[in-house]
Amino acid sequence: MNENFTNTELLIQYLDGELDNLQVDMLKKSMQDDPTLAEEMESLRRTKDAVKSYGLRHRVSTIHAEMMQERKGKAAKSPGILAKMIPYSMRIAASVIFLVGLSILYQYYSATPEKLFDENFQAFNVHQTRGNATTALQEKYTSGDMANTIKQYESQLDNTPEDNFLAGNAYLGAHQPSKAIDAFLRIQQQNKTGNTHYFEEDTEYYLALSYLLNHQPGRALPIFEKINADKNHAYYKKISNWFLKRAERFK
Amino acid sequence: MEIRRTFTDAALLQILRSDASPDDAIRFLYHTQFNITVAYIKQNNGNDEDAQDIFQELILVFIELVKKNKFRGESSVSTFLYALTRNIWLNELKKRGRSKLRDEKFDRQQSDTDVDVSQYIMHREMKNALMQLVHNLGETCKKILLAFYFDELPMKEILVATAYENEQVVRNKKYKCLKQLEQIIAARPELAKNLKSVLSYE
Repeated sequence: MNENFTNTELLIQYLDGELDNLQVDMLKKSMQDDPTLAEEMESLRRTKDAVKSYGLRHRVSTIHAEMMQERKGKAAKSPGILAKMIPYSMRIAASVIFLVGLSILYQYYSATPEKLFDENFQAFNVHQTRGNATTALQEKYTSGDMANTIKQYESQLDNTPEDNFLAGNAYLGAHQPSKAIDAFLRIQQQNKTGNTHYFEEDTEYYLALSYLLNHQPGRALPIFEKINADKNHAYYKKISNWFLKRAERFK
Repeated sequence: MEIRRTFTDAALLQILRSDASPDDAIRFLYHTQFNITVAYIKQNNGNDEDAQDIFQELILVFIELVKKNKFRGESSVSTFLYALTRNIWLNELKKRGRSKLRDEKFDRQQSDTDVDVSQYIMHREMKNALMQLVHNLGETCKKILLAFYFDELPMKEILVATAYENEQVVRNKKYKCLKQLEQIIAARPELAKNLKSVLSYE
């Protein structure tokens, strides 16, 4: 596979129709002279097709849900009911504000690593469509069988980054944070060695949660702070200032 | 009042072949074909849930076959979809080990329309595996790649939807995400080798 950044970028720009005629001619000539480059172009083109195909599947699934809802005849809430609720909402507003204030204070002072973890941990969701699991481990994971996911993982000699990632989640789900940490660190090592980016941001988030559950706030907090400071991070929305404030109590 | 868009066969095929949004066409297919599929699946040892799964698959395969010019209107859309449903459901029954039962039923119900979806059936599992890899890519990457390559949104709109600093940052992220996905697929040699067939039904 061609790892040259500039060439790959050019190929993607070509696929996206962003090159001018001169650049297109030059690139076509380069591809004639370099079969590896032509191969990479094909590979990228098919990757793009895979994205489009996934998009269509996603769209059909969305419309399917809409159509099933329509069939069930679940109409939107009637305006009459809404209108009746307005005076009630005015009446209870003050009570709600008071209760929310109490709840915030309680959440701050009663926070423990386990509690914070439980509030935030949701095992990585692998989309479930009948018959689409790709490996034995993934099949077990998608069926929610965490105990056998772990068994499968521990019986395998070579684990891919995906195996490590799913196993890390299974360990977390089973409240075995030290093993989860090992699995997530393995992905980071694999990415570092192979110069790849598998589950990069997902791994950061789940690794930090593992440290939190393992009572290692000194290791968890820098990762949470990094995610909180990076608006572009996939888990940015999960690590709020409020979450950080509560996590800092464990230092 | 709800206004439903209707399509002639020709108009339906035209919109599915184009880059225009297929949403109305898909809704139209639900309104006109879903009950037929439900009735068929239920008559042949399936239930409501099976019918819903099969119908989603039917729509996907139909649209992709139309886009690849593998169906050009040789029969009516409805007849073609019915035959396609039979093929997909037959395959599903085979998978479930009910082939004997299926043979008895299907022998009595042969239609004149021969739909060759053998390539699709052959690569069905691989296609599912491929879709799973895209699904596992991570929310941000999926959002950007889908917005750009499926919804074909301009960078300006993707920038607003993703809250990145500027278009160049989004462009760089898109590049990294596509490359990342390519590498993930390449790490599955069997899938990478058959990618063309899996995506083009050839």
